[in-house]
Amino acid sequence: MINVFNLTSTTENDVLVITTEGYINNAGGEKIAQEFESHFQNGTTKLLIDMKGSKVVNSIGISFLIEIIEKLNDKGGILYFTNLDPSVEKTFTIMGLFQFAKKVSSVEEIK
Amino acid sequence: MDQHIKLEVKLPKVHDIELVALEGLELMGHHLGITEEKIGEARILVTEGVINALEHSGNEVPYVNVDFTMTKEKLIILITDFGKGFVPSEVEEPNIINKISSDNKRGWGIKLMKSLSDGFEIDSGENGTKITITKNIA
Repeated sequence: MINVFNLTSTTENDVLVITTEGYINNAGGEKIAQEFESHFQNGTTKLLIDMKGSKVVNSIGISFLIEIIEKLNDKGGILYFTNLDPSVEKTFTIMGLFQFAKKVSSVEEIK
Repeated sequence: MDQHIKLEVKLPKVHDIELVALEGLELMGHHLGITEEKIGEARILVTEGVINALEHSGNEVPYVNVDFTMTKEKLIILITDFGKGFVPSEVEEPNIINKISSDNKRGWGIKLMKSLSDGFEIDSGENGTKITITKNIA
């Protein structure tokens, strides 16, 4: 069974790393946005979302990621993704997310 | 002769009910030996189709029917709702640049279904909407 959404977050150097697990739907996207917002208010402008535990997403959940991109853009920040399922990566590509966000293999790749 | 599997489900308007359809899809896909890559793309199609239909199904018949027909080569997904329908040509094509500066960041479902499928048809009228999605999965 596809599991319900959960996330954990850590900060490595100046990068906020949010690791997700489960379905990124409306509620999941909102939780990511809330977690990001609490750090963004304190000046964080680099966010890495590790999606190794999220093979299922929907476009409503992704709309919250677009909201994050907008906020980061305004502050000269950037959103990174790692461990994307191929179907999720294809979805992001179709939506054009990689015009504003980047794929990395690990947090160490972010300068 | 190719094995041919059918699954018909009637989904009520319940939070995350699309996951029920995804479970069926994955079980059928694994049974037929479909690759994870193709199952993953089909998951997105089903998810977008069902949430779109549930959103527009209205309250009088708050159900969505999802019919799968799967062979080793092809998946056909028929999603039916019984809402008021819509005019497909009036649905604006979303664009990431416009969406970033817009208050409405949603509206990606049809674009995703068209892009990830090998065939996509909408038949919509005042008694509801039928979406037929074809996906090559060999």
